[in-house]
Amino acid sequence: MTDIARLSVPLTLWLISFSGLYGLHGLVCSGHWTRLAGSGAEVAGQTALIAGFLAALLVQAVAVAVLWTQRFGGPPGFVRTTSLALALVALVATLWTLGPSVALPACAWPSATVAG
Amino acid sequence: MTTLIGLSGCKGEVSILDPAGSVARDIAGLWWVLLLGAVVIFVAVMALLAWAMVRPQGRTSERVWFWGLGLAFPMLVLSALTVHGLVVGERLLARSAEGVVTVRAEARQWAWSFGYADAPGRVTEDLLHIPAGRPVDVEIGSVDVVHSFWVPRLAGKLDAIPGRINVLHLQADRPGDYAGVGAEFSGYGYLDHVFTVRAHDPAAWAAFLAETP
Amino acid sequence: MTDPKPARRAEALRLHRKLLPIWSSDQRFRGWLTTNNNNDIGGLFLIVATIFFVIGGILAMLIRAQLASPGSAFMGPEAYNQVFTMHGTVMMFLFAIPFFEAMAVLLLPGMLGTRDLAYPRLGAYGLWVYIFGGSAVIIAMLLGLSPDGGWFMYPPLSSSAFSPGIGPDVWLLGITSIEVSAIAAAVEVVVTVLRYRAAGMSLARMPIFAWYILVVAVMILTAFPPMILGSLLLEVERAFGWPFFQTENGGDALLWQHLFWLFGHPEVYIIFLPAAGMIATILPVMARTRLLGYAWVVAAVVALALLSFGLWVHHMFTTGIPHMGLAFFSAASTLVAVPTAVMIFSWIGTLWQGKPRLELPMLWILGFFATFVIGGLTGVMLAIVPFNWQVHDTHFVVAHLHYVLIGGYVFPMIAAVYYFLPLLTGHSRFFKLGEIAFWITVPAFHLTFLAMHWAGILGQRRRTWTYDAGSGWEWINLTASIGAFAMAIGFALVIGDVVVNTLVARKARRNPWGAGTLEWATMLPSPVYGLASIPVIAGRYPLDDDPQLALRIARGEGFLADTSRNRRETLIVSTTGGEPAQVAVLPGNSVLPFILAVVTSTSFLAPLVGAYLLSGAALIGVVVVALIWAWGLGSKADEGPVDAGRGVTLPLSTEVPDPPGWWGSLMLLLADSVHFGSLLFGYAFLWTVAPNWPPPSYLAPGAVDAVLAGAGAVALLAGPRWAARSILKGAGPWPGLVLAVLGAVALAGAATGIILARPDPAGHAYDATLWLLAGHVGLHVAITAIMLGYLTARVLAGYTSPRRIGDARIVQLWADFTALTGLVALAAAWLPGVFG
Ligand code: HEM
Ligand SMILES: [Cu+2]
Repeated sequence: MTDIARLSVPLTLWLISFSGLYGLHGLVCSGHWTRLAGSGAEVAGQTALIAGFLAALLVQAVAVAVLWTQRFGGPPGFVRTTSLALALVALVATLWTLGPSVALPACAWPSATVAG
Repeated sequence: MTTLIGLSGCKGEVSILDPAGSVARDIAGLWWVLLLGAVVIFVAVMALLAWAMVRPQGRTSERVWFWGLGLAFPMLVLSALTVHGLVVGERLLARSAEGVVTVRAEARQWAWSFGYADAPGRVTEDLLHIPAGRPVDVEIGSVDVVHSFWVPRLAGKLDAIPGRINVLHLQADRPGDYAGVGAEFSGYGYLDHVFTVRAHDPAAWAAFLAETP
Repeated sequence: MTDPKPARRAEALRLHRKLLPIWSSDQRFRGWLTTNNNNDIGGLFLIVATIFFVIGGILAMLIRAQLASPGSAFMGPEAYNQVFTMHGTVMMFLFAIPFFEAMAVLLLPGMLGTRDLAYPRLGAYGLWVYIFGGSAVIIAMLLGLSPDGGWFMYPPLSSSAFSPGIGPDVWLLGITSIEVSAIAAAVEVVVTVLRYRAAGMSLARMPIFAWYILVVAVMILTAFPPMILGSLLLEVERAFGWPFFQTENGGDALLWQHLFWLFGHPEVYIIFLPAAGMIATILPVMARTRLLGYAWVVAAVVALALLSFGLWVHHMFTTGIPHMGLAFFSAASTLVAVPTAVMIFSWIGTLWQGKPRLELPMLWILGFFATFVIGGLTGVMLAIVPFNWQVHDTHFVVAHLHYVLIGGYVFPMIAAVYYFLPLLTGHSRFFKLGEIAFWITVPAFHLTFLAMHWAGILGQRRRTWTYDAGSGWEWINLTASIGAFAMAIGFALVIGDVVVNTLVARKARRNPWGAGTLEWATMLPSPVYGLASIPVIAGRYPLDDDPQLALRIARGEGFLADTSRNRRETLIVSTTGGEPAQVAVLPGNSVLPFILAVVTSTSFLAPLVGAYLLSGAALIGVVVVALIWAWGLGSKADEGPVDAGRGVTLPLSTEVPDPPGWWGSLMLLLADSVHFGSLLFGYAFLWTVAPNWPPPSYLAPGAVDAVLAGAGAVALLAGPRWAARSILKGAGPWPGLVLAVLGAVALAGAATGIILARPDPAGHAYDATLWLLAGHVGLHVAITAIMLGYLTARVLAGYTSPRRIGDARIVQLWADFTALTGLVALAAAWLPGVFG
């Protein structure tokens, strides 16, 4: 089971941060955020998203580092190599999929919600 | 009005390859890029496959197959494509611009009502008037089920969702009639959930706004 | 080896004769209902799934007949809407998923070098639930009561206001049966791959298909729960008016879309990956070589699986989500093409290094390449947001999805059927009909669906029942229809060819393709017991490593060749290394799975005809039958370690702390956690974006509620532990059990507080959500309570001992889950109230 965890944890972390950042993005573009952050809401939102992105990168980097160690990565062999490779994949995936948080405006599409 | 084209009529009326506005034109351009790239890649992969089938047996290296073809090649192509797609997408978004005209589209089973920011109280049924050559924001809503607002020659589609207003950006280069359709399945009358967008020249647009309801 | 050949043969035959009666199903007719052998179950699964493919195919022909000419009077919108909805539903749920499950059930034990799957009776149960649910859907269709809202059933169109008939209920309840059966199969597959293998089969030595199917099974456990939640929400909205998708009362139509596609996107990979696993298995054999880059492929499968959970919004690009949100999913959707490319190039590289022969399975795999690559490329196009805005919901998408589904699933599966035909039937082909069918089907497929892309580009919307003359689509549609009919003839020939070859063809010789993996180690067709003994292996291709292996297995040189205990035994190994760890005793023939399936299906289907009382009674029946089922397992006396052969003694799987039932529970709870997580997601989603929030008031916890919840959870965590420890020490478990019951009651009390405080779940989606959270607690408390009662009875009846601790540990696992998720559920219910 430890080996199964080694193989699946890095990308599961990616999935968590990916969904988490998407959720944060939803929050940032919702009415709650303006209520919370007041006048600086837009800047605060963009900052929060970038911070989330950097945190996600950090988490993945740590995952790579941890799986590199003898202690957590396990003895040389199939599982060690494959899980390290997957940890690198997760790092790249974080850069690739969450990168837009740095490059695009957060709520560019004015899609309003009306009470019906 | 000079042109009077029926709802069902001439060829290419809803073709995405016959754009009549900047947004649709950008996307049509994107399609040709995508198609060309896909054809080239497909042919290359098939050639590789065919050669693999007939060539005499031999050793091969994981380096070429995985680092080269499996990773480097798709990552290069895909990252370029993703960025390109996002740049185009960003350009097409609705945003506050000089002289933008705002209209409102409300979908129901199976008809469309349109309203106009510049002519409060005016409502037209199944016929949306816009000025040609000016950016238009369409505020799209629904009163019953999910629908979608789509005028293929002018822009991509955007859904009409109960309780929300989505804003679509479009522009018609020239005066004329453009076919629009409901593009999210909405039940029995879905086929005929259609409308027309009529783009006016400045004089006709002014005349339309001045008409008393 | 010195003994003469005939003597060795005789030895093998003797063992065969001894194993046969132990493993055989009842030879009378009732044997069909009582069998749980994987050969029988898998075969039935395969036949039924093929029947559904034919039904779905006939519906497809109706669609293409209607669209062949403009303004066709063949069908009107009522009929057409039912036909395309049923076509999509039947193909996706009743054909595609069960068909690969069938292949896995049939082949997995052989590939892994074990004798059957981990829970043979669960497999039988899944089969029957599927047959009943699927038949009900088809019967409803024949009565003209089908759903007609498309296979993804978007509300509010599918809500009772706009679909007052029972169509959507048929869909929802039919789908529920498939969910149950798929989850049953998934639990079985995961545990089998992780623990039931040949000795020495470490993770790195597993046949590649085992990796694929392991990943797929875990995906089923994690992707189906959002869908199960979605169907639950829609059903309670339709039945009781809980407004989850009604904007006016705090619901949101988009919630359904998120839940559906959270399932729906992984679903397409759930369908594709088993077929890919077949290709990775068959193609190297066809190329007389080994798979290039085994580890690369394993990594690609795992990556693909996890990435596929981050793509769901690409089905919602036109719903008005801000562009940055779309960008995340657009990027994820292009990224997922990378592991796919790794697989494709692994296979082409394999052909490159090998010496391919153009046998029929290889031909179909070539058909796969020519088709799937196009489907992948159009998939990448659809991932590009602006392009998607144009072609979404046109025939372009329909064409794309058929390129991946037919090219990526149906073609490889046909290759697999032909490849494994000798194993499953003992026959090898002798007509050339298969080649003719191939050359009809594949070109006809491209004719049909290439044309359909073009129709989409020219603006033809999917799900429209006709089009006007003069639209410019006439020739395209006629071409597509002609192609479709030719394709149907091709598929019919394939099915006919397989049937004929099953019935009459000539006998195949052993291992006809010269494969290196264990499924080919048996005589043909593979006997009921699978392997006469469990081999010890030292590589990925054991038959290549040791040409005599098949004979050694047959002669009983492996583990568990001793039949004197006269029961169905197989080996359990350690997950990573594959070292022999336990001896599993598999249950014999039993009618219980069938009965349980009957009562389960009754409880699902009775509401369709308004028989809620019957449904409730059947639900009680489910509990009763399940308890009888569980009671029959285990024994009243310690047996101690048994002789497993080869001089090794191993404990029985009933006398270890982690019996198979514990592993199965763990996997079920994995699915349950995802279900619970989806519920929390739905709650957070509504809170964040639903238009009519906040509700008039939030609920805040009283001090009593909070104390009940906290103390209850602690007691429920501690009690079963205490009880288990007592059993381990040989003492009475009573104090622990009493504590656990008290904890369960307290937790239930806290949940009841919520229900009492908010008596109207139909008022606002917030209240409806509170009821679901409370319901989650209530349901799990009830399950735990029943289990505690069961454990009490087991202890009294003498089924537990310090060795036979398994029952207590299983109960502990469920109690832990109940306590922890119960606490989270209650906290979530109270949270908005606490913060105002
Ligand atoms: C046997 C040949 C097949 C043909 C000729 C065919 C044809 C079609 C056509 C024309 C449509 C579009 C209907 C419309 O939007 O108006 C459609 C929809 C669909 N097909 Fe097929 N199909 C075939 C096989 C399959 C298979 C094997 C699968 C899945 C494994 C499948 C899954 C679907 C799905 C999911 C839809 C969408 C239904 C909806 O819009 O709700 N089809 N098919
Ligand atoms: Cu998808």
